Amino acid sequence: MSLRIAGMGWVTPLGRGLNSVWERLIRGDEATAQPISDPISHRRYCAFRVPDEKLKDLPLHPRLRRASAISRFAAAAGLDALAQARFAIGEIDLQRMALVFAISNGGVIYTKRFYHDVVESGAQSASPLLFPETVFNAPASHLAAILGIEGASYTIVGDGVVGILAAKMASDLLDNEPLDACLIVGTEEADWLLCDAYHKWRVLKKEPPIELFHNPPHGMILSEGAGAVLLARKGSTQVDAIDPGGNFSNRREASEIVRRILHHLAVDDGCVVASANGTFVDLAEATAMEKELPQSVVYSPKRALGESVGASAIWQTIVAAEALQTKQLPPMLDSGPYTRPGVDVSGGRAIVLSCGLNQQVAGLRLSI
Amino acid sequence: MPRINGLGVKKPQARVAVVAAGVVSPLGFGLSETLAALKTNKDCVSPVTAFEVTQCRCKTAGQVSDHHLNEQLDGRKDRRLHRASRMMVAALGELRTQEREFKPELTIIGTTSGGMSFGQDYYRALHRHCGLRRSPQWIANYPPQKPVVDAQEAFGISAPCQIIANACASGTNAIGHAFECVRSGNYQRVLTGGYDALSELVFVGFDSLQASTPEKCRPFDRDRSGMVLGEGAAVLALENLESASARGARIMAEIIGYGISTDNYHLTQPDPSGSGPRRAMERALLSADCSADDVDYINAHGTATIFNDAAEGEAIRELFGQVSVSSTKSMIGHSLGAAGAIEAVVCLLALQAQLLPANINSRNPDENLKLNIVGNESRAAKIDIVLSNSFGFGGTNASVLIQKATTI
Repeated sequence: MSLRIAGMGWVTPLGRGLNSVWERLIRGDEATAQPISDPISHRRYCAFRVPDEKLKDLPLHPRLRRASAISRFAAAAGLDALAQARFAIGEIDLQRMALVFAISNGGVIYTKRFYHDVVESGAQSASPLLFPETVFNAPASHLAAILGIEGASYTIVGDGVVGILAAKMASDLLDNEPLDACLIVGTEEADWLLCDAYHKWRVLKKEPPIELFHNPPHGMILSEGAGAVLLARKGSTQVDAIDPGGNFSNRREASEIVRRILHHLAVDDGCVVASANGTFVDLAEATAMEKELPQSVVYSPKRALGESVGASAIWQTIVAAEALQTKQLPPMLDSGPYTRPGVDVSGGRAIVLSCGLNQQVAGLRLSI
Repeated sequence: MPRINGLGVKKPQARVAVVAAGVVSPLGFGLSETLAALKTNKDCVSPVTAFEVTQCRCKTAGQVSDHHLNEQLDGRKDRRLHRASRMMVAALGELRTQEREFKPELTIIGTTSGGMSFGQDYYRALHRHCGLRRSPQWIANYPPQKPVVDAQEAFGISAPCQIIANACASGTNAIGHAFECVRSGNYQRVLTGGYDALSELVFVGFDSLQASTPEKCRPFDRDRSGMVLGEGAAVLALENLESASARGARIMAEIIGYGISTDNYHLTQPDPSGSGPRRAMERALLSADCSADDVDYINAHGTATIFNDAAEGEAIRELFGQVSVSSTKSMIGHSLGAAGAIEAVVCLLALQAQLLPANINSRNPDENLKLNIVGNESRAAKIDIVLSNSFGFGGTNASVLIQKATTI
């Protein structure tokens, strides 16, 4: 079955809009980190945030009135992807379109507020307005309501790999169901609680820059936003193959699974859009790439955009598709052996590689 | 029947067998204990012991025995696992006793809250400025995929995991999507199911919505006043029926249809007309190419909330008339992401034992619903095809149709 990208949209710390963010990446721009303070222990962290003004033109839908940032990012990216697809391939029958959401940490801001009230003042203080927004599928439900989708809507959860697993599910749905298209949306919101958790887990650094492919790794910076890709049977970029990979139980095994995925997806003339983020992931990917694709041009968008976990694999997919369309890759700065200025890529194929922080690994390959 | 996909291409469809299952729920550990409890209409709801509930309206839940779960611990690593992981390990362990060599190509599991209680432990430790020594362990074991990866690891499986979090419909969505993956012919073997462990945050959340009851859970009753929560895990091994039969596998049942729909009426309330549940059930019938008259029993979502039971009851009455209906949540509570998987196992056992599970705590059936409720006592019946419903927040609705095992 031919699976193609018909439309894309992203909301990132470098802005919103396919072309404008891409142009900034090509220029070598990096998002500016903003301080986030932990109000309990007063520790300071940094995160790449989405500028508020980027969501000002969201539709005034009742579902978005109380919705958390994660739902608003998702709605913006999803609507942008649909708008681009309509321009590219014409009208889309929303009753023949499924929705697959990729979520990692979910609505952490409302969840924290809800539970904070319980911890501070007891169960009687729990808010019935906040609780429904804490549910993983709240962002998907809001977008389904905005679009009027009455058919299949799935939310799948996982680590940074979840966007690729969502693409795999979309591919299976399009093969099985009477559907024309599937909108996959990955979304994440940044909060001090997540920064603190990742810091305690020793994968987060307190200030940028994210130094890719350094040994030992110094850590990542969290970011927020959303990415959306409309998969259909028409479109300019083809999804050649999706490898849902597997799970690693230790970091050495991570590298081996990445290698297996590269072996499966590898092509002589492709570039690799990696998930390197300044953590152990970099070494896992570098080791595997040295074995399987030592000559490949490699790019990771995470130095510029940060680690957006639930949205990250969709952002990588958009980067890969844009690289194929424009035949160029943004520069890689201060990235060990992969440091280079922006380059032209003419091979027509790109591998999106994703190694998550919580044991999952997957990949996919695009071509034009 | 061949199926026409979005390309207008007729695709041959494989039949999908359930070749093994495992379950941990308040009804018991394993299929035998579960069947015995179903036969005796066991009320498994008891006062909550895991956390403070004095400020909640509801103070009860269906709980899995920690004693049993801890008996299965094996070494230091196991002791670090979340309860949800231990439940998944126990459920998968039972499945593996039936099908030792079952190697799934894909694992699709439903949940709503992963290792939520570890998130709570972490937040409470932050809040009181002490006890954070275990925080890396809590954080690493909190994500929803972790219990599934842990269970797979325990049995040497490394299949890619798709974790569906469609609120209370997650378990049925997982089984339904797994069914479609095997039926398409793209996969031979898929492991599916659902899990959820009771947590304070979720318990208090449902209490704040006044969705849970301080009384007994009485689905479809005139006096119903809400749900009680539950917990557990269940897994099913799905395999292409032809290849399972060829290798001489025991066929427990066949999954024959699946329907999914989205109801955009409200984030937490169904459209009162029952249109969302109705579309899911209609699609399941269409997917199975069977009629409503072919269905012998419905294991309803039946949470005992005013709105759910009214909407679901309306949809069942319109579509199925006087089919036998019960909600086994009356016995074990609502285990959220695990509910659809546990109830699918209940349906498997009902088909095998030719038994209609009871809707306990029935007092005064709601006359407005006009349903044929299997009240209070399970009973013997000839059943060949059963339907299992799950509906959730966000307007997600899912139904699966399961058929008694037949030879091919």
